[in-house]
Amino acid sequence: MHENKIGSRFVKWLLICVSILFIFLMLVLPLITVISEAFRSGWETYKQAVTDEYTIKAALLTVEATLFAVIINTIFGVFAAWTITKFHFKGKKLLTTLIDIPVTVSPIIAGLIYVLTFGRQSFLYPYLKELDIDIVFAIPGIVLATIFVTFPFISRELIPVLEAQGTDEEEAAALMGARGTTIFRRITFPHIKWAFLYGIVLCTARAMGEFGAVSVLSGHLRGKTNTLPLHVEILFNEFKYVPAFAVSSILVMMAIIILVIRSVVEYIGKKET
Amino acid sequence: MYVELKNINKKFGDFKASDNVSFGIEKGKLIGLLGPSGSGKTTILRMIAGLENPDSGEIIIDGKVVNNIPASKREIGFVFQNYALFRYMTVYENIAFGLRVRKVDKKSTDKRVKELISLIGLEGLEKRYPSQLSGGQRQRVAFARALAPNPQLLLLDEPFAAIDAKVRKELRSWLKEMIEKLGVTSIFVTHDQDEAIEVADEIIITNKGRIEQIGTPLEIYQNPQTAFSASFFGLTSFLEDYQKFHTFEKIEGAETAIVRPEFVKVTKKTEFQKYKSSVSEGVVERVSFRGDNIELKVRTNETVLTAKRGLDEQSISVGEKVDVLIYRIFVTVKEKTYLLENQSLKENSIVI
Repeated sequence: MHENKIGSRFVKWLLICVSILFIFLMLVLPLITVISEAFRSGWETYKQAVTDEYTIKAALLTVEATLFAVIINTIFGVFAAWTITKFHFKGKKLLTTLIDIPVTVSPIIAGLIYVLTFGRQSFLYPYLKELDIDIVFAIPGIVLATIFVTFPFISRELIPVLEAQGTDEEEAAALMGARGTTIFRRITFPHIKWAFLYGIVLCTARAMGEFGAVSVLSGHLRGKTNTLPLHVEILFNEFKYVPAFAVSSILVMMAIIILVIRSVVEYIGKKET
Repeated sequence: MYVELKNINKKFGDFKASDNVSFGIEKGKLIGLLGPSGSGKTTILRMIAGLENPDSGEIIIDGKVVNNIPASKREIGFVFQNYALFRYMTVYENIAFGLRVRKVDKKSTDKRVKELISLIGLEGLEKRYPSQLSGGQRQRVAFARALAPNPQLLLLDEPFAAIDAKVRKELRSWLKEMIEKLGVTSIFVTHDQDEAIEVADEIIITNKGRIEQIGTPLEIYQNPQTAFSASFFGLTSFLEDYQKFHTFEKIEGAETAIVRPEFVKVTKKTEFQKYKSSVSEGVVERVSFRGDNIELKVRTNETVLTAKRGLDEQSISVGEKVDVLIYRIFVTVKEKTYLLENQSLKENSIVI
């Protein structure tokens, strides 16, 4: 019994040490490097890199793509989660599996899929050309790629919560004559509110950092189809290390803001339920 | 008839939840749908409410066929098994919900909600959330919420299942009183025979998707029409071959015989037994104290019978040889049930 206790204490500290060491090596050290590299040549150079015309354009494009992806995925995510948890139909399992594809497929493949679907080889290309719609190597392509990659985040957060709730409360409200929108607003939404916000936060974080799929579809046109992660890559490939790290630090800061929001959402959500 | 079901059929996959169900309910009655789990009673309730659609057959409420009327337009109050109270709304908001979606004006809503809160005796708890209430209080709120829009028909799905035994008894009589006072036609589902007997004006017994019998609790108790309704009430024992027991008339094609504890008289060898010639000998296998009586399991003619003895009678111990007299039995032939009296009792009464 006594030995056992010492053993478990030893295991406890060992595990804590391993975890801390791992996190330090994999996360904290790189983060420190990013920040220190960004400021290596002083504040002025940093400011110059961050306020560079192309950087600002890239940042705006990142925000734009993220906004679109989050809005569209929110709408889709709520509908998908609602459909899957509140109705019984054939092929429901298949639909649930399909929603997960974006997390299992490599983003590069996702990018290629869209190039093949909307690019010059595609049978859709003549029609798109006629309608004057550019997708590949243009902003719509970037938005599409971002949507694809962040597709399951919101529905994945909502499905377990909705499943746990069951359909009784909705049925009760429907029996009293409430319409679908009223039921959603008064009964379902209050219940999924925190999971929903959490899903949006995760989706935003992922959308901002997306590189692979966007890289394939963007064409790297500086000032036109460059997002922040792509801009970092270009700068890095041109051996402009300080500006590359400076731009990275913008992404890091955005990520930290999102993480703080996430923690606050989680904290309030837990307190309320 | 206020509510009428005509030849209702409903299948879930291969499972027949309703098999040609027909019955009628008079206005103002409190009806108990009684049956074991899986007997299709909840399905019947949900079809009346409009939460499920029958595959065939007609549901008529107040003279109108309601099959194609959506649940929200049927003006039915429904109390769910787990109450399904809106957990993010207070007691007040829960009760007001049905009135608000009907666009009832604020003043009347407030008046009605206050009236109902005082009816269920929860004054002062208006601002509580369902999670802050006890099981019994939640049930009362669910009841008030269902009644708020003044439904003509109230449906309750296992209304007492989620409440502990002591509170359940209280709530049963409370609910019966309330429903009588308000005069609203009500149907409740239960698997508990005591509950059905105590609360319902009339009982509908369901089994395997069919209706076995409809009647007042007393009628069903005294005159079970099917083997199932005969066996569903009380602690029944089954006799494989009732001819082994003395002096019962022989019926052609008789299948099983059903004996209730109150049909059996167990006497000690030393006690006086008037119909000594009709008794069978048995051995006591178990003696259990049941509060106001002693329950005995007695093996007689290879069958174990349940019997009761008063606390004032001489005590009996396990292994003791006793005399067993059966006054009457239910004999089932196909789907019909006959009540047979012990003939020696009849002969005796003629002599006297």
